[in-house]
Amino acid sequence: MDTTQPGYGAFTTHFSTLISTMPPAFMYINDADAIQTTISVIDNVLNHLSSAPGPSKISYARADAIACFSARLLYESVINSLASWTPQWEDAAVNWGVDNEVRWNDTFDGFVHGLRAVHAYLGKGKEEEGDMRLVVVVERAERLIPELMVPLTRLAELARVDLCVVFVSQAPWETMRPPLGASPDPYFFDIPPPTKEDVVKHLISNYSSHPSLKPLYTHFITTLCDVCYPFTHDPHELAYIAAARWPGFVKPVLDANKGDMDLDADSDSEEPFQPPSEETRMRLSRLFNPSLSLALDALYPRLQNATDWAKANEPPPNLLDNPPTTTKTAVPSDEKDAGITCLPRLSKFILLASFLASTNPPKSDLRIFGRGLDEKKKRKRRASGKSTNTKGGVTKVAQRLLGPTSFTLDRMLAILGALLEENDVDSRIHAHASEFSIPGEETDMEISRVAVYAAITELTSMRLLTRTSAVDRLDGPPTYRAAMGYEMTVSLARELDVSLGDLFWEVM
Amino acid sequence: MTGGDALNLDDISQTTFYIPYKPDHNDQHKPRLPESQYQERDFPDGPDLRLAAYRKAWTKCLDRLQAIVNNLQTPVVAAVVEEVHRSYTDVLPGLPYPELPVICITDPVFGSSFLTELTNQLEPPEDAPDSLFSQTTFVTHLHPPDCGNISSAMKSIVNGFVEKETTLGKMKRKPATSLANYDITLLSTWYKALCEAEDFDVESRPNLVVFLHEFEQFDPVVMQDVFYICSTRIPDLPLVFILSTSSPTTSWLHTSYSRATLARLRVRRFALPSGTKILEDIILKTFFDVEFEPDVMIGPANIQYLQDYFTRYDSSLDKVLTILQLIHLKHSSSDPLTVLIHSTPDITSLSRPTSFNFIDSLAARLYAPSTQTPSETHAEDWRSITVPSLIQSVDEARTNFRSRARGMRVAFGFINLVQCFMVLQGYKGLGWGQQISLCDVLVDILEGSLEKDIKYLGIMVRKLRVEQLRDLLEETHLYFSNIPTEEEAQAQIASLQSILPSDDVDLSELRGQVATGLSDWLIGYLNSRLTPLEESPLWDIWYTGLSSFPSELLNPSVRASIISGLLRPHDFAERSNSDDESEQDREVELWELPDTSILFRRYLDSGKMINVYDWFESFKTVLETQVKKVKSGRGTPKKQKGRGKGKGKQKAVESEPGEGEDGEEEEKWKLEVQARFMRAMQELDYLGFVKHTGRKADHVLRLVFDVDD
Repeated sequence: MDTTQPGYGAFTTHFSTLISTMPPAFMYINDADAIQTTISVIDNVLNHLSSAPGPSKISYARADAIACFSARLLYESVINSLASWTPQWEDAAVNWGVDNEVRWNDTFDGFVHGLRAVHAYLGKGKEEEGDMRLVVVVERAERLIPELMVPLTRLAELARVDLCVVFVSQAPWETMRPPLGASPDPYFFDIPPPTKEDVVKHLISNYSSHPSLKPLYTHFITTLCDVCYPFTHDPHELAYIAAARWPGFVKPVLDANKGDMDLDADSDSEEPFQPPSEETRMRLSRLFNPSLSLALDALYPRLQNATDWAKANEPPPNLLDNPPTTTKTAVPSDEKDAGITCLPRLSKFILLASFLASTNPPKSDLRIFGRGLDEKKKRKRRASGKSTNTKGGVTKVAQRLLGPTSFTLDRMLAILGALLEENDVDSRIHAHASEFSIPGEETDMEISRVAVYAAITELTSMRLLTRTSAVDRLDGPPTYRAAMGYEMTVSLARELDVSLGDLFWEVM
Repeated sequence: MTGGDALNLDDISQTTFYIPYKPDHNDQHKPRLPESQYQERDFPDGPDLRLAAYRKAWTKCLDRLQAIVNNLQTPVVAAVVEEVHRSYTDVLPGLPYPELPVICITDPVFGSSFLTELTNQLEPPEDAPDSLFSQTTFVTHLHPPDCGNISSAMKSIVNGFVEKETTLGKMKRKPATSLANYDITLLSTWYKALCEAEDFDVESRPNLVVFLHEFEQFDPVVMQDVFYICSTRIPDLPLVFILSTSSPTTSWLHTSYSRATLARLRVRRFALPSGTKILEDIILKTFFDVEFEPDVMIGPANIQYLQDYFTRYDSSLDKVLTILQLIHLKHSSSDPLTVLIHSTPDITSLSRPTSFNFIDSLAARLYAPSTQTPSETHAEDWRSITVPSLIQSVDEARTNFRSRARGMRVAFGFINLVQCFMVLQGYKGLGWGQQISLCDVLVDILEGSLEKDIKYLGIMVRKLRVEQLRDLLEETHLYFSNIPTEEEAQAQIASLQSILPSDDVDLSELRGQVATGLSDWLIGYLNSRLTPLEESPLWDIWYTGLSSFPSELLNPSVRASIISGLLRPHDFAERSNSDDESEQDREVELWELPDTSILFRRYLDSGKMINVYDWFESFKTVLETQVKKVKSGRGTPKKQKGRGKGKGKQKAVESEPGEGEDGEEEEKWKLEVQARFMRAMQELDYLGFVKHTGRKADHVLRLVFDVDD
């Protein structure tokens, strides 16, 4: 093996020695931080071993526990890849070993027989029958279907062939060990989180662009890891951020270089351009360092994908030609999500009412929204129930922090009516129609309109409201829960010109 | 069921009976317009002719609407299609692993019309060669019910592709020994074979598009595994996911799916245009466009309602179309005169005696005595009316209205042009589209209350600089030169243009002359054109005017409608022809109501808890009055049926107790009253008016309290 993944040297040696000599029947590899890298290392090792010249051959199969969501899929993928068999469309995509009239994808017993058949098939032509070693790697073992867990861990003793099962998982064995000691204890590998130096080395080793820019890339990666390593140790994530930022970072250099090339066009253009000077490098760092943490903010939670982020944050052309003092730092501008503003007006009120219904306790409704006939426009409310429950006992956690509670449809409609009566009367087209004589009568009509119920269902299907009662339950009012956050509610209230502060029972 | 097959409804061994619906073949199945309010002056074939006229007008309008909608959504469709095709070619170099391309479409307005269009573009039907791209894609559609669990989701995806008609043909799978039909390896095998058979290389191979409809309804737990499994097979299997969502917020994906899942996806978002802009566009291009002439013009009340409904309740395109259709339908069904929308019936049909009422009303409208004319000339007018002259006047009125409406549209186009010019020049303009919504402007125009704006615009024009004047004249000239009917305006603009010299010598005087000329002409022109359409004769045939939209039909208040239905059932019933006016207006007595309504009246009189026995007794009293009244006044007009419930009552009335006070009859009557009471109470129960509590014997809880109480 010529290229070992940085930081995996010890593991590689240990693992390959075990596999090629006397492997334990069941191994467990646990890596919480960089599972993708670990899987590729294992793959590399096994690939190397199975293709190595020598008397003892190793055949291995990888199975992904998420992809193998049924036992049959696991059996088929393991046996087909052990036998290096690719199903062909022309042959009706049959599995390996159909000629023998044996079905080994229906039960575990069949699977064991299949394994023995594969072992025999692969061992043919060798001097000794038992010279073949099978390795089965199960990735993401924490998602393995439960009934397969115990038999797989004992696969070697059940199949009675030279076989080794390797589980790779992000979770420790203790969390998934079957009860009552049904499984033997595995041989453990714990992969430590990759160190910063290893990650840097690994990222640099993957560089495959212009060779004269490699020093700059090394510098870039080092800076990037300095900024981002504290937040994620996964080399994949760091490489993702690097891939998004690098094109922008290197663009000024390429631009400058192109300009130079244009200037002396008669000189030999074949000659590779000079790596940027130390001063340029410093300037680049100063310009781009602030954007690295912003890249982390946007890309790590995948608020934007790398390609689009790279496009959106491309620096202006010829950045290096501008005098240093006037150059603005390349900090991306973040745009606001204006999607919710295009909801119909009544839907916004419904969302507001449902947030209030989810946050305020039901007993407070009358005190917050109740108005007498004469004090319709007056807001008569003291600040809030601040003094409640101050003495002794556990302090009550604010409802906003506990998450939304569910409410009945009727309660929400009543709150909606109160909101509409105070904030929406003037915007109606038939404002103060003569047919309504009693105050609030028109609002009462308004909240029981078909469109209101339709809007509630629509909002539920948009997942801005969550229905908590079963859809097919007919008796009793349906219950819902608000699915909007506080910030969104505040912005909605501002848009509707509702003073939200007065309407919360607890101080927000 | 006839003859021996007849149902034995008395069979106690059966729990339910199925009585199949047998439509009465004598019934007219042709769709008919509801009877007009002014039925007495209707044309003999009026309803049919008006239905035909409505169909013609609405089809014309609908075609226009669909063209507009298509124009609005085409850019997004094209962008999405292009994105699908570029998914695997436009990849950022240096990514640590390939990402699964996901296209997230936010579409709160257009709904199915957009999805159909997109599907057609992605996978063109056999007979449509004009797709945007020649490259083929394979599309599989998934709906939430397909994805209850991971196996069924994977099965739908795999089968969706594998069972497509391709050159490969169907495979004879052996269920036991072949790959499982939910195994993505099967899809890989199929795709590899397909690429070999069709000789695709990496560039030209078709992408596999998985279209997830109503994505918010999919179970995130299932979908995250689907995404994981699919992402392990890229880029060998070029899968592209399209998520169709209606939620306007973009955070939905992030709140429902884990970071690990999102890290496998490359999400691109596309949003369709939304908001009031769309409604304005639709109204503007349908009713105020120079190039389109609607058969029926909608009035300010309807525009207001449309705008209100769109911004307040539901901003979906379907609703806009429904409302516009209802406007057309209502217009055609309300007034018999609307039969004249497109053409006038010929002399023979108008000369028939049955058409006299129609002719009368038409003549009354055409030659109505205006306040100024003295009565003699008026009488003379009447004498000279003949059917042909009437037809001629109607045709004249039609041409007149059309040209007036066209004039208004042209004038609106012009004023809009000047206003946009002002905004472009950096002036405030009239604030259209910013402070004032365009719909309100249209309402103002139709109501003819735009003088202030026109005057303001005139003043602004007067103050323009020379270059600006020249540009404005140039634009105006261009605008009018495309409209052949506006020769006067063309000449006017041309003459103004000729005054304005091309060099910039000192022009203060000339400038003032041109500016004043243009301003005066503009004010005069606009004021003469932007007048209410009601001023032309017979306007209400082609223009809905101030008649309001029947909003209660589309968006009724549930509780209020139920209660008013129970209180005044006769208002909801079909009117019979023999009814005279007085019958319509008189107060309906309690005993005349259907059983449920009687019970409901008594319900409203009760307290919080209702004693069922008392309720029954009061109901019985009313029924006895009913019997007495019917018996005493056989000659009184027959009672009208109320919502089907009346039928039982009619029968009951026929089988009233005999005069002989026979004990058996008495018993029968009691049974009947009880049955009718039970039935009516069940209805109220079903409607949710009462609640049974065990708190008090024989009592039910009243749940609905009227506001009037």
